[in-house]
Amino acid sequence: MSAPLPRKVGELFFGFIVLAFSVFLFWQAYEISGFSELSSPGSVPMAAAALMVLAACINLLKDLARPTSIDTARSFFRVVLPPIVAIMIAIIFLFGIVLETLGFIISAFIFLLVSIQFLHKKGFIRSFLLSLLALSVIYIIFRLVFSVILPEGLIPERDIMAWIGSQFSSGA
Amino acid sequence: MMEALSFFSTSWMSPQLLGLTALGTFLGVYIGAIPGLSVTMAVSILISFTFSWDVNNALCLMTGIFMGGVYGGSRTAILLNIPGAPSAIATALDGYPMALKGEAGEAIGLSTVMSVIGGFVGIVVLAIAAPVVSDFALLFQPRDYLMLGVLGIMLVGSLSGNNLLKGVFAGSFGVLIGTVGLDPLTAEERFTFGVVELWNGISPIAVMIGLFGVSEALTQLHFMDKTAIKQKIDRIIPRWSDVKKYLPLSLQTSTIGVVVGALPGTGGDIAALMAYDHAKRVTKNPEVPFGEGAKEGLIAPEAANNAAVGGAFIPMLTLGIPGDAVTAVFLGALFIHGLNPGPLMLTENPQMFWFTVGNLTLANIFVLIFGLTGIKLFAKIVECPKGVLLPLILLLSVVGAYAINNSIADVWWMLGFGVIGYFMKQYDYPVGPVILGVILSRLMDESWRRSIILERESVPDFFINLLMSPLSLVLFISIMLIVVSKTTLWKQAKGRIFKSAS
Repeated sequence: MSAPLPRKVGELFFGFIVLAFSVFLFWQAYEISGFSELSSPGSVPMAAAALMVLAACINLLKDLARPTSIDTARSFFRVVLPPIVAIMIAIIFLFGIVLETLGFIISAFIFLLVSIQFLHKKGFIRSFLLSLLALSVIYIIFRLVFSVILPEGLIPERDIMAWIGSQFSSGA
Repeated sequence: MMEALSFFSTSWMSPQLLGLTALGTFLGVYIGAIPGLSVTMAVSILISFTFSWDVNNALCLMTGIFMGGVYGGSRTAILLNIPGAPSAIATALDGYPMALKGEAGEAIGLSTVMSVIGGFVGIVVLAIAAPVVSDFALLFQPRDYLMLGVLGIMLVGSLSGNNLLKGVFAGSFGVLIGTVGLDPLTAEERFTFGVVELWNGISPIAVMIGLFGVSEALTQLHFMDKTAIKQKIDRIIPRWSDVKKYLPLSLQTSTIGVVVGALPGTGGDIAALMAYDHAKRVTKNPEVPFGEGAKEGLIAPEAANNAAVGGAFIPMLTLGIPGDAVTAVFLGALFIHGLNPGPLMLTENPQMFWFTVGNLTLANIFVLIFGLTGIKLFAKIVECPKGVLLPLILLLSVVGAYAINNSIADVWWMLGFGVIGYFMKQYDYPVGPVILGVILSRLMDESWRRSIILERESVPDFFINLLMSPLSLVLFISIMLIVVSKTTLWKQAKGRIFKSAS
């Protein structure tokens, strides 16, 4: 082991959050059955939470002993959470929000189009075609082959499928 | 014996199972090879799609991916110096220098053959050792299972990261996540905050996809501008004389691989590094120095990491204890398909065991086939730009999480854990122990409560009986050793720093 590295920007703050979260969980674990019996439902959760609190405390103390990073608060958005990551997190959360209302086909297509355009940066037409291709492959594999149920939303997918099916069966 | 043989060959005889194993292995080789995609990620996402399938079909696909993936990681390690999987880190040490010298084809060929030899050694040991371990495991008391669980989480925590405390934190966090919902023994609510939807707990698959799919994809966004350098590949079938010459070494390191793989908490990555070290020690006069393209340095880790697959299946199938994150995910899949890996599985469900052994053998043969062919296609796939690949991983993660229960709630859990996992990775918290904790939570919870009820709630009795049983004592000492070794190391290092500072 070598000399302690300077703290990464935001590490101390993260340590505090981790500790606060652990303490909260310990309190919740205590609420389950208190210190009643060793075999009570709350015993293992309490032990696990206690370990979390302990580990978080020691980690925080170790972090406090390390030299402060020279970075400013602004560099948090360069080192830990660069804009590209923050934007992608936002995009995927938006995707989750509209998934059920718009349905899988529309929302997934928009998601692919926006994110490929944003990350790949090779022209709109290309992103459009790539998204279309990727979505078709995923749809065929997962919806048709694996028969995974996906949110239908605005496009009455099942009706269309049933209609196509009936056309085939009546034709035969 | 005949019966075992017929179970063994189930997947060899059925065209459907054969095809699925081939498909799985093929996918595994490429998933393992594409940097940014991992076997853990692929298996976690696939579980959600395959759980309405027949068990045999799902298992064929997943063993194939597992076997292929461990091998696939070596390809990019050799060609691009980017290990496709943690178990291929040691492969890059000598594989990449070989590629730089224009021996990429030879390196790939040799690593393929040696991986397959290692794989077979692992499978043979699995077939012989598992029934023995399983008989032995019947002697295990609940407290032994508890300690095995603790040991596994601690080993993964201390070896995968460089900070035992962060590993312990992650493991305990996982155990807590696993206890959410109604207590299986008393039906009391735990961490449900009055929400009925939480009664069934948080889906471990959602946690897995979040931690291994989304958080990994988000981390990869940091390295968008890394481009791959193309290598020329010519001859890929290795020379017979080379195979013969290095066979003893590969058998030795395969043995290391199986043993290390069979220990709870240690997997292919550690096996490969230990094998590399072994090769360095036993090779007195290498033709080329280690680190500059020595064939020994390529062969040793490759044989070991594939042998570790067979080894890792031993504790997984006989004790229900996963060896590392990959096996933890795999074990989760077995539970979901209603199989209960543990000491009774071999007696109650021998067909499952021999079926798995047969499957692994088959997958290993496919590794040889796919490893020595399709190099042109491979070069194309690896060049898949990250700007397209990462949105696809994220989309598949969402589809996978939704498919678990057809509910949007699992998608939110998955995304939540994805973001938590991302920040954990940023601050050097390992995510592997979280999954191990989630998977082992129930076993540890029940084992603890059973064993303390057996002792009539008396802690002194618990420890007295623990010290009286040789098996429990060994497990207990192992746990203590890990804790003590970590703290003294820490103290020594601190002392050294003190000296240099003064």
